[in-house]
Amino acid sequence: MIDLRSVLALFAAITKSWMRSKTGVFFSFLFPVMLLLVFGTIFGEQEVKYTLYVQNLDTANGKETNLSKFFIEALNSTGAFDVKRLDADVDAFKLANQQSFKVKRVLMIPKGFEQNALNKSISVRIGVITDTFARLMERYGKYINESAKRNITKGQKMLATWENKTETSKAEIILLMDKHDSSYPIIYGILRSVTNAFNNKLIGAEEIVNVTTKPLTNKKLRAADYYLSGYIAAFIMTNGIIGVTSTVSEYRRNGTLKRLAATPLSKTSWIMANVVQQTLLAILLTILMVFLGWLIFNIQTIPNFFAWLLIFIGAITFCSMGMVLGGIIKDVEAATGVGNAIAFPMMFLSGAFWPIEIMPDYLQFVAKLLPLYYFHQGLRSIMTLDNLEGAFTSFLVLGVLAVVFIPLAIKVTKWKELD
Amino acid sequence: MSGKVIKEAIDRKLTREKVIEVKELVKYYGDTIALNKVSFEVYRGEIFSLVGPNGAGKTTTVEILECLRRPSDGVAKVLGYDVLKDENEIKKRIGVMPQNFNTLERLTVKENVELIAKIYGIKSDINEYLELLGLDGVRNKKFHTLSGGMRRRVGICMALVGEPELVFLDEPTTGLDPQARKDVWNVIKQLKKMGKTVFLTTHYMEEVEELCDRASIIVDGRIIHTDRINELILEYGGGIKIIADREAGDADKILRKFTDDVFYERDSIVGRFKSRREAGKAIAELYENECKIRIVEPSMDDVFMNLVGKRIDERGELI
Repeated sequence: MIDLRSVLALFAAITKSWMRSKTGVFFSFLFPVMLLLVFGTIFGEQEVKYTLYVQNLDTANGKETNLSKFFIEALNSTGAFDVKRLDADVDAFKLANQQSFKVKRVLMIPKGFEQNALNKSISVRIGVITDTFARLMERYGKYINESAKRNITKGQKMLATWENKTETSKAEIILLMDKHDSSYPIIYGILRSVTNAFNNKLIGAEEIVNVTTKPLTNKKLRAADYYLSGYIAAFIMTNGIIGVTSTVSEYRRNGTLKRLAATPLSKTSWIMANVVQQTLLAILLTILMVFLGWLIFNIQTIPNFFAWLLIFIGAITFCSMGMVLGGIIKDVEAATGVGNAIAFPMMFLSGAFWPIEIMPDYLQFVAKLLPLYYFHQGLRSIMTLDNLEGAFTSFLVLGVLAVVFIPLAIKVTKWKELD
Repeated sequence: MSGKVIKEAIDRKLTREKVIEVKELVKYYGDTIALNKVSFEVYRGEIFSLVGPNGAGKTTTVEILECLRRPSDGVAKVLGYDVLKDENEIKKRIGVMPQNFNTLERLTVKENVELIAKIYGIKSDINEYLELLGLDGVRNKKFHTLSGGMRRRVGICMALVGEPELVFLDEPTTGLDPQARKDVWNVIKQLKKMGKTVFLTTHYMEEVEELCDRASIIVDGRIIHTDRINELILEYGGGIKIIADREAGDADKILRKFTDDVFYERDSIVGRFKSRREAGKAIAELYENECKIRIVEPSMDDVFMNLVGKRIDERGELI
């Protein structure tokens, strides 16, 4: 019942009609591009950084002490902080309590930081040495001759006197921060690790356990890389569920559908033509987004065969969903409304624009019920992570949906008794 | 030539080959009956009209014949094919302009016509159709920029381009201004000359008189009468009316000599004659008495009035 010649003729006609529709082109192409540019510019280069004000009160002769300078450099080198300096004459407590002071995170390095740290490190080192000798004597004392033992004991006593002479108050840094600040645990954690590393360095200990982060792929990933596939998937979905739904019901309202139904054209050919058109649209959209991603955000992703395959299946699935909605809902405004009501929540809930991990558990559960979730996850898996196995569920879910919705679209599309 | 000879000549010309046969057609919408045992026939080469007010069942009938609706009961055959069994065979052979015709609005006239040609698999030049309908000047204009009359011509062009034997035009001139309506009439007359059979629906009586060979009058889902237009007018037109000025002295007296059916209408006196012979006598005498008179032949309006008891207004409502 599918007449290829008619399908192609109709495909060409509705594509021309779409190209000449300003709203059609806007929502299918310009809107996605705008969002990519806006969100990409805001979040694209993002490596998350926390603003941290640092006030260094540890000065000698008007100059910052070496150790406090090193500490601030160490904070900077984590890459986690956007360190801003506060002058020494500012009252940090007062400032942090001011309403106008937005970022309430101040790290104070008090006077005497270097002195205390060095003294403490000497006392700790002495403690370590005395302790080492004590253990040595305890374990291997019987092998050591008496004169050597006497010297050692003498040395231990001297060390003990020196240890008592050095001040042993700990070096301190003070973090002024509200514990309800959502980033408190992260900032506290990073600070702890910096101070630990610092402590180790000061007592001359090697780092014994080291954590190295290895990226999942060889590519350097940024937010823009991560979201590109999300945008492509989301807008193929909206083109189907909003675009197709409203176009189909508009064609029925204004009589175009009746005109076509009165020709030998079959209903299946009509649906095919729409599916082919949406597939073309999806291809163009993907090319455009990938190109802009490369041009503006230097994203080097080229969809491979499987990415294109998933894009085809996605376009077919969401187009047939649109055909079903457009077929069921008679009123044009209602059809557009329902399309929007389905597509927009799906866009935001499915995690196409941000990782679903940041959403509450029950919303994560909801996300996994949405077809778009599988579409963008699969696409990301193939395009960004080079992981074809990770897209298996996506192929399965979207494939099954296509197999269900295409016959359903054929069933609910009216080709007779059109009002 | 006598009337009988003419009638036979017309019969021969129409060849009496049935292209549409409708028997006892019934259509329900839910509990509402839209068509109640509708029967009529349409012959090859004629312009046939289904005429009636809004809601009478014209579009329902036409859309059953176009295979766009399913009949609830009865038989409808188009070009010998059953509408329920041979949808494809019928659709290949007919051309359709639906009611309130519309098409892809952002496509040009040419693109729209080409689309339909391609669907029908027609490879011949569509330009001759554009020329025939006077559309060559607007071929590259987008459909939505056209006037109502032009749109209908595009609709007829799209109905023709598939080279059909039979063309359905559902209310082809509704809502058009008088000039646009006349333009569409000229196009429809062309179709007849091309040998097409034309089935049209309308609520304009003058359209039926102007264009049609035969008509069925339909009201409330029932066919009231089907016949040739001339027959309908002669039979049910209510005879000739002679209208004289109220002040014209003897007019009243003379009219009453030949007919009982005399009445006053505004500043005129009207005599109605069933018999043309009596009317002739009255006309002769009125002229002899130098009465100023107008002779009004009966029209389809009168036929409808006499058969249905009401008239149809400009918008297609019964009044």
